[in-house]
Amino acid sequence: MNAEAAVLALAQVVAMVSLSPLLVGMMRQVRARLEGRAGAGALQPWRDLRKLLAKETLQAAGTSWVSVAGPTVLIVSSLLVCAMTPLLGTVTFTSVPDDLFVVVSVLLIGTVAVALVGLDAGTAFGGMGSSRHMTIAALVEPTVLVSVYALSIPVGSSVLSQIVAARLDDPASVASPVSLLALLALAVAVVAETGRLPVDNPNTHLELTMVHEAMVLESSGRDLAWLELGSWLRLGALLGLLSTLLMPWGIATELSAGGLLLASGALVAKIAITGALLAGVEVFLAKLRLFRIPELLAGSFVLAFLAVTASYLVVQA
Amino acid sequence: MSDSLYAQLVGLSGGVLLLSAVLIVWRRSISAEVRLLAVQGGALAGLVTVLGVNEGSTELLVVAGLVLTLKVVVLPGLLSRAVARHGASLHEETPLINTTTSLIALSLLTMLAFLVSRPLLVLGDDPAIAAVPIGIALVLYGFLVLATRRHAFSQLIGFLVLDNGIGTVAFLTAGGIPLVVELGASLDLLLVVLILQVLTARIRSEFGDADLDDLTELRD
Amino acid sequence: MGLFAVLPIAFCLMLAVATSAPPLGGLRRYAGVVASAVILVSGLALVVAVLDGQTPTAVGGQLRVDALSAFMLTVVGSVGLTATWGGLQPRTGPDATASYQALVALFLGAMSLAVLADNIGVLWVAIEATTIATAFLVGYHRSRRSLEAAWKYVVLASVGVAIALLGIVLLYAATRSAGSPTLSWSQLDADRPPLDPSLVRVAAALAILGFATKAGLAPMHSWLPDAHSQAPAPVSGLMSGVLLSVAFYAILRVQAIAGPVIGPALMRGMLVTAGLLSLAVAAALTIRQRDLKRMLAYSSIEHMGLLALAAAAGGVLALSAALLHVLGHGLAKSSTFVVSGRILATEGTTSTTQIRGLLTRRPGVAAPFLVGMVALLGLPPFSLFFSEVAIVIAGVERGLTWVMAVAVVLMLVIFAGLARHTFAVMFGQRTAPGRGEAAEPADRRAHGPWIPLAVALGVTALIGFAAGPFSTILTDAAAVLGANQ
Repeated sequence: MNAEAAVLALAQVVAMVSLSPLLVGMMRQVRARLEGRAGAGALQPWRDLRKLLAKETLQAAGTSWVSVAGPTVLIVSSLLVCAMTPLLGTVTFTSVPDDLFVVVSVLLIGTVAVALVGLDAGTAFGGMGSSRHMTIAALVEPTVLVSVYALSIPVGSSVLSQIVAARLDDPASVASPVSLLALLALAVAVVAETGRLPVDNPNTHLELTMVHEAMVLESSGRDLAWLELGSWLRLGALLGLLSTLLMPWGIATELSAGGLLLASGALVAKIAITGALLAGVEVFLAKLRLFRIPELLAGSFVLAFLAVTASYLVVQA
Repeated sequence: MSDSLYAQLVGLSGGVLLLSAVLIVWRRSISAEVRLLAVQGGALAGLVTVLGVNEGSTELLVVAGLVLTLKVVVLPGLLSRAVARHGASLHEETPLINTTTSLIALSLLTMLAFLVSRPLLVLGDDPAIAAVPIGIALVLYGFLVLATRRHAFSQLIGFLVLDNGIGTVAFLTAGGIPLVVELGASLDLLLVVLILQVLTARIRSEFGDADLDDLTELRD
Repeated sequence: MGLFAVLPIAFCLMLAVATSAPPLGGLRRYAGVVASAVILVSGLALVVAVLDGQTPTAVGGQLRVDALSAFMLTVVGSVGLTATWGGLQPRTGPDATASYQALVALFLGAMSLAVLADNIGVLWVAIEATTIATAFLVGYHRSRRSLEAAWKYVVLASVGVAIALLGIVLLYAATRSAGSPTLSWSQLDADRPPLDPSLVRVAAALAILGFATKAGLAPMHSWLPDAHSQAPAPVSGLMSGVLLSVAFYAILRVQAIAGPVIGPALMRGMLVTAGLLSLAVAAALTIRQRDLKRMLAYSSIEHMGLLALAAAAGGVLALSAALLHVLGHGLAKSSTFVVSGRILATEGTTSTTQIRGLLTRRPGVAAPFLVGMVALLGLPPFSLFFSEVAIVIAGVERGLTWVMAVAVVLMLVIFAGLARHTFAVMFGQRTAPGRGEAAEPADRRAHGPWIPLAVALGVTALIGFAAGPFSTILTDAAAVLGANQ
């Protein structure tokens, strides 16, 4: 069992590392085409990574070991998340299951690491970005926890793989109102967690509106490469989780070469669709003012809370 | 109708009722709230239809038609025409508690509704009774909107949400109320809405705006 | 006999439609008077029938007349007649408009339907209809204050009545799950189905809460002073005199249904709280009043609080005293409100700080007001004295000694406040130096019909002493409510 789980984890890591930059490139391309631009092509993130890794890493004056350790912690936590969440299959380690709380905590470690990198240089923009980032993170965590918890109530366990497996077994539960409410809340939370519109604009060049970009202003070279890849991996993993919960078909319940191939194809399709949808919707949205973000996140929390209470109230025959 | 389909449809209508009520509290634009009210009326009519089909009662289906006409067509139509006469799309200028606090209050009210509905669960085990807390929650949400909004139209919308909640409880617990009473209650509701609209228009022409905080001359 | 049950409602509906017909013209202003007279005659006929042992029904059993309904119908008719006849204005007055008379006729018809209905759902519809009918009557003057009062009234009354509907719905659900789905209390009384106590507890609490809002009991009373002070005087008389009592009648009916199922404890607790709070609110705010009509509105809150305490006590003595109080209060309050309207017309204000020495300057208007106030203060020989004493005694007998003690203290405080304001208006000296008014002769004109006021106040004075069939109807009505608990 553990060997299978290790193989699956490795496969997931490899898949996500290769797919995430493509995902981001595709989303940028979709957005560009919708906006009437030619775009840089879907392979541009890969080209950016190659360029950054080749460049010299500069440290700003006054920074400490945090600026070196932070990006490393982020990339490690993102790889762990990719390994743990049930993206290709639902086989897990028996001793370290991909429990909801474990996954959320690992995500949070990465969040905090980036925030510390932003603070380390002692610049105004970095501090501003870090404080906004942590505010949003504090508001998003309860929603993520409660919405996935709502999905776990019918299953009886908060292990993500078991939730996905249960949804695979019972297709009717995918369309139930509890599930729809919870996934709606989770979608809003994912948008906030990964720094997409309307919470944060990833393409902005105006420092005063930045959240994520402000924290990485002082990084360069290899550090910046890890920071960028880390955030792309988080985006890919969370979109993969969301789409797997919404459409669990294609997931491999046991390990086999054919199953893994099928699951990989399904995963590519799912995150392509979700990513394209997200990019398309972003074209029509404007970034929310900062003090209206708590309203949005409180609303998504209420939806998740309602999903929890509804799953206790409405008896499923 | 099969049991699981029945339970799912009841759950779906209940979910839409609840979601529309949450969005009414969340949104600030009054014309959006009126549209959501129409959606809520449609969900209530759908719920009554499901109950009617399940029990094979033509009376319930007639009542469903009545609810549909009243709460989806007539009342939102009246309200949107009144809002249009009032002026460009209205926003709630300063509600008494801000949106985030209202949304948190919604979560607390949902828990309260669940607690209050405990004695009602003795009525039976079927999915309809299990969905009664949704009706009680709607009543409480209506109260919240009534109590925390300043604009006359917002209070009217809160009153209609309250009435929808009472209707939901009525249909879920007892398959509705006797037809005569149902007709009388619908007529009364229509007349109350008309009266409040006329009063709003008069308040607006007298005070210059329908902000109810201006109505403070009568006090001890 | 069933005809007399249908007659008041049908007649009022016809009148409401007919007042808009142009040919009636000047006769239009008598519409309210005629409607009240018909209601009173029907009520008396039904009282005679009930004392004879009959129980007239009509419209296939939807209208059912027992002792309580017949008595309440008589109250509606007599108070209505006092208010509408006493409130008749000269030909060019505002009440000549068709809409006003139509609304008054609808109001009276709805109240008649409420007391005659056998089905608690129809009772609810009728009470909501009274809110609708009075909405534009309260806001009739279209001033800023009356618009504010009308808005508060409609919103609060409708919300309260909506809560009562929730209670009624749950009651219906309880009857349905017990096997006999019905909202008719004659059927509930006859069958006595095994209703689930916890469900009925919630239902009764909600229904009483809702109807208490309409009856003006604290803490849901905030609409009452505004609405009753801003409405035209006859309408205030009708609302204070009889609409509050009809809402109280609804509370009594709910109590009678729920009592055998859940016992008296919950409802007694609710009614004692509401009653004492109402008395406290009236006691605290009466002394601060600067407007006669608002003062009378707070006096209504006081009397409704007293009625709530009587309902909490229960038993034959308390309930029959409460019904006597309903009649006495209705007649006295409507007379006083009508005269306050005349004071407004002659003095131009109803402010207690500006009017002084009314008894010497306008005895024709001041004398009925003084007599009405003496009745409302609960002084003998008026029936309110006897009913208040009986309620206190009944309360002590039924174990509410401390409650009644607090109530008596609060009533004394209210007595002091009302007396102070009345004396100031009647006997005070004008503080401004007389400029040439000393030579003005006393205005002995009554400024309106004096017969209805004399009859109303006279009846209030005499019924306290009347025995025989009158007390029989009261005890019969109390027995209907299951006063043998």
